Amino acid sequence: MKKPSLAGIITVIVLLLVNLPILVIIPSSFTAAGYLSFPPEGFSFRWYAKIFERPEFIDSFWVSLQLAVITAVLAALFGTLAAFALAKYKFRGSQVINSLLLSPLTVPSLIIGIAALLFFTRIGLAGTFAGLLLAHVLISVPYVVRLVLTGLSSFDFTLEKAGYMLGASPARVFWDITLPLLRPAIVSGMIFSFLTSFDNVTVSLFLVAPDTTTLPLAIFSYMQETLDPLVASISSVVILLSLVFIVILEKVYGLDRLFGLQSQSH
Amino acid sequence: MAAKIDVELRNIKKVFQNNVVVQNFNLQVEQGEFISFLGPSGCGKTTTLNMIAGFLEPDEGDLFIKGQRMNGVPPHKRELGMVFQTYSLFPHMTVAENVAYGLKLRKVSKTEMQERSKRVLELVKLPHVADRYPKQLSGGQRQRIAIARALVIEPSLLLLDEPLSNLDAKLREELRDELKRLHQEIGVTTIFVTHDQEEALSLSDRIVVLNHGHVEQIGTPADIYHRPASEFVHTFIGKTNKLEGRVVARQDRLLTVETQSGLRLKAVHPERAVAEGDAVTVFIRPEKIRLTAADAPADANRAKGKVELTSFLGAFTECDVRIGTEVLSVKVQMLDPGLSLSIGSDICCQWSPEDVLIMPGERG
Amino acid sequence: MGRRLAVPLLLAPSLIILLGVFLLPMLLMLVLSLQNDQQQFSFENYLLFIQDPFYTGILWRTIRVSLWTVLFSLLLGFPVAIYMANASGKVRGIVTMLILAPHLISVVIRNFGWVVVLGEKGWINELLLSIGFIHEPLRLLYNELGVVIGLTDSFIAYMVLAIATSLYSVDQSLSKAAAILGASRIRSFFDVTLPLSLPGIYAGVTLVFSLSMSAFVTPSLMGGTSVKVLPVIAYEQVMSTLNWPLGAALSFLLLGSTILLVALFTRLAETKRYKEVFAS
Repeated sequence: MKKPSLAGIITVIVLLLVNLPILVIIPSSFTAAGYLSFPPEGFSFRWYAKIFERPEFIDSFWVSLQLAVITAVLAALFGTLAAFALAKYKFRGSQVINSLLLSPLTVPSLIIGIAALLFFTRIGLAGTFAGLLLAHVLISVPYVVRLVLTGLSSFDFTLEKAGYMLGASPARVFWDITLPLLRPAIVSGMIFSFLTSFDNVTVSLFLVAPDTTTLPLAIFSYMQETLDPLVASISSVVILLSLVFIVILEKVYGLDRLFGLQSQSH
Repeated sequence: MAAKIDVELRNIKKVFQNNVVVQNFNLQVEQGEFISFLGPSGCGKTTTLNMIAGFLEPDEGDLFIKGQRMNGVPPHKRELGMVFQTYSLFPHMTVAENVAYGLKLRKVSKTEMQERSKRVLELVKLPHVADRYPKQLSGGQRQRIAIARALVIEPSLLLLDEPLSNLDAKLREELRDELKRLHQEIGVTTIFVTHDQEEALSLSDRIVVLNHGHVEQIGTPADIYHRPASEFVHTFIGKTNKLEGRVVARQDRLLTVETQSGLRLKAVHPERAVAEGDAVTVFIRPEKIRLTAADAPADANRAKGKVELTSFLGAFTECDVRIGTEVLSVKVQMLDPGLSLSIGSDICCQWSPEDVLIMPGERG
Repeated sequence: MGRRLAVPLLLAPSLIILLGVFLLPMLLMLVLSLQNDQQQFSFENYLLFIQDPFYTGILWRTIRVSLWTVLFSLLLGFPVAIYMANASGKVRGIVTMLILAPHLISVVIRNFGWVVVLGEKGWINELLLSIGFIHEPLRLLYNELGVVIGLTDSFIAYMVLAIATSLYSVDQSLSKAAAILGASRIRSFFDVTLPLSLPGIYAGVTLVFSLSMSAFVTPSLMGGTSVKVLPVIAYEQVMSTLNWPLGAALSFLLLGSTILLVALFTRLAETKRYKEVFAS
């Protein structure tokens, strides 16, 4: 038996630390007490029941959900089309367009948020659902572009040519041949966009209005006034929801590939 | 006077997850010998080399280097030189720094380091690349630097793990000759692992043929080629024709074998273990078969047949001759101008009894 | 479909959004930052920053917190990357999954979890008090330490991935070669492994630093009112004080400082020799 290495021990510690906050929240939400504590005192669902007493959480949950779903669809659509243009047609300036499409990733969310606020106020989109949507799509498209481009980099375009030779129209070729092969990349792009949108705080911070706020922001403001197990119960719901998507993402694509880490096995 | 034994393996055995990868490995390597471990992939040759280097420990058996028992000694304390399949030159060090690394670890003085590095670079005929980085060198050059790096520390033993496998055919031959020259000049005891029998035959003083973790034979290249100890050794090295037959007559050590299609072969079998009526397997190498005109009468070690296939390969010609139900593969260098090798022509195959190898066949 | 028509059509939706929600607004923001409250062109917002020690102090604090985050991410993340590089594919996958999964959960929630752990009545304090290890609760939250812990938790995954990617591309037999030449495992680590992981380390350092500098949520939730960093001040100027020009200027100053410091680091770190070895 190999004795555990120092690197191995530190790895375990780091993994525990990184997952600690999440692991602590779920038990805390079941506390019977009226205040936050870990380990929880007693067992009760009262803090889950309390969620329904707070309309701001229910409403913001729906806003976040709608936002995330539409963002996922639009980002996946726009991003896939753009990636397709870049990969299939090697045109002059494609490198520039590529960098341009990925540029939102390099600029701090703070600046994106403030800039969007300033502009949207001018054109009346500040505080609207549409404004939020546009911003969320903006920050999600780069991820989709990158994912689909990677998927396309190993795509053999002669497969399409074979399709044409057999008599298929361009639309048919795209639907029957290209799309299925790109499905993992597109699907994971959609899921990732969904999560990015649902989780987003910093950009949304500048673009919400009292009646159109997102769930993370609702939690954020609540946390600045009170810290009680209600936050824990809401958070647990979100964690559970996110975990479902994380597992799907891992199965469809693989989290390591998603974050750009190509690891080869020994 | 008995030669010094530099490396000794006694009953070495290694098991990986219930698979016996190497067993009953016994070998004594004399000082200055060039030994090859030869065999197909998975035969245990690299595993054994790694055990000699210290990257793996044998589960059973003892390893001695220069008389010292090495079981449990970590690789960095064994004072060996090693060259890997992927050269393994440190990409962040210049050629000079790579070569001098072993000396630096041994705290050799700067002047001595420079001197010895210079000498070894001249030895591998690359004196002018000292300040370059490995990525600026070609594959062949990198391999020569890897060899230089291993030799500069003046190791008692040099290990080479398929060092030529990553090179293209022409470079492989060139470097093979380089290795031979280097070994003749320096005389360091060398163990060379390869799956290429040509390399093993041309470079080695002795070859260890391995198959599925077993040592099939240890011998000089000539022994391995002409006097193989088993069917595996014979078929692994070079091409051969394999025929099944039965012993129909035995006169002392001279056997007469008849194959299923009536082909008769006479050969000398060195052991007495084969009797009349026994089933045997017979081997003849293609280059040992001579082609003559088909008018000569049939006899033992001579048969008439029809040409089925011909391939002209420049230096020699390969030809398949059908004799009854069997096909003999023949390789000839110079063809008798009067002979025709067109498909369907009659031809006569002939060979000497010394070139026939007989192995006991399956029972019944 | 001809390529002349196809390309613009395919790119249009994305580019329109990019232009309209990103580039144009940022340009507007830049122009705004160069205005005073009479909408005249002026550098006063930027000058205010340089002259007022309050703002330079905030910037310094932001930098300080980011540097600590980089340090902890490096010290804790490097061993994890080493472990992953030496592990089998299966183990690598598990570790990657466990370190990345928390990322896909909103930062607000993760910070809340830390509040439960680090608070005055939180898990750690209750635990240490109950076993008598300490007599007074430790202040682990609403100070710079709390912010650094939160940021390290957020960004360590990036450090690990950056270094691990670098290490994966290192030839396995290099450490064997070093060993056979006489290097002990420690020697081999410093002479071979560490130098070859430098590109990954530099990438991780610059990435984590940049992310920490512009972080908003974690410093807000875990820094409290006494520990404010530049992003928080910028937010307050925009949303509370409604001094948009100043808020914009502060944001660009933040961005500019980050880029400057990263460029400085890169300049110093990428020596001539480094470039020769690692440049493609």
